[in-house]
Amino acid sequence: MDAAERRDMLKNVQEADFVVVELTLYTNTHPNDQEALTQWRLAIKEAARLRKMYEKRFGPLSLHSIPSEQAIDTGWRWNQAPWPWQM
Amino acid sequence: MWVYEKKLLYPVEVKECNPKLARYIAEQYGGADGELAAALRYMNQRYTVPDKVIGVLNDIATEEFSHLEMLATMIYKLTKDATPEQLEEAGLGAHYVNHGHALFYENAAGVPFTTTYFQAKGDPIADLYEDIAAEEKARATYQWIIDISDDAWINDSLKFLRERENVHSLRFREAVEVLKEERDRKKIF
Repeated sequence: MDAAERRDMLKNVQEADFVVVELTLYTNTHPNDQEALTQWRLAIKEAARLRKMYEKRFGPLSLHSIPSEQAIDTGWRWNQAPWPWQM
Repeated sequence: MWVYEKKLLYPVEVKECNPKLARYIAEQYGGADGELAAALRYMNQRYTVPDKVIGVLNDIATEEFSHLEMLATMIYKLTKDATPEQLEEAGLGAHYVNHGHALFYENAAGVPFTTTYFQAKGDPIADLYEDIAAEEKARATYQWIIDISDDAWINDSLKFLRERENVHSLRFREAVEVLKEERDRKKIF
C-alpha cells in the first residue's frame, strides 16, 4: 500500500532528522566532545541518505532538494496535499 | 531565514474527534507556558546574549516552532469533524462563534495569547533562568494534560514533547554554566 509505505519511509526521515536535532543541541553546549561531533556528522549523513530515498519516491520535503524532471512530468507539485497536518 | 519542511518533527496520530482534549491542548498552543511563548521568547533573546549561547537559543527556538506545528495538528484534527453542539459541550461554544473551526492562539480558558507572558531582560543570566523555568513549566503542563487525557495516541505525542522540555531545560542549564565559566576565566587573566 502506497500510503502505508509513505508513512513508514517518512518516519525513517523523521527519526534520522531528530537525531540531528538532538545532537546539534548537545554539541552547542559540548563543543569539545569529539565523539559527539563524530556522531553528529554521521547523523547528518544518514539523515540525508534517508531523505533522498523518500524524496525519490514522493517528492521533495523542502526546496533544498531538487525535484526530478520525472516528478514534475508525472504531476508532482510543491503546493500539493497532503500537508503534514492532513496526513 | 527559515525553510519549510513538509513533515512533522514527530508523528501525530488522531483516531477520534475530541474537542475537549483539543481545548486542553490549547494551553500549550497559546498559553503562558506554551510553545508559541517559548519560541518567540528565545528567538527574541538570542540577539543580546554572548556568542557562546546564541546557538542554544536559536536552535531551541526553531524546535519550538516544530512543536507548535505538532500541537496545531492535534487541535485541528481533534476538532475538524466536531459539530457546533459538540464544540459547545466541550466548552468551545464561544470559540466557535468567533473562529468557527479555525485555530486561534489562546489558552485552555480561551484567553488570547499575549507577549506579556515573557521577558527579554538584556541580561543573559536573567534570560536563561527564565528559559529554564519556562521549560519546567511547560513540562508540568504536558504532564497535567497527559493525566487528564485518555487518548493513548495523543498521549504518545505529548510524552515526546514533555521529554523535549527536559532536554531543553538541561541545555539551558549548561548554557548558564558556559557563561559562568567565561566570567570566571575573565577574572583570572
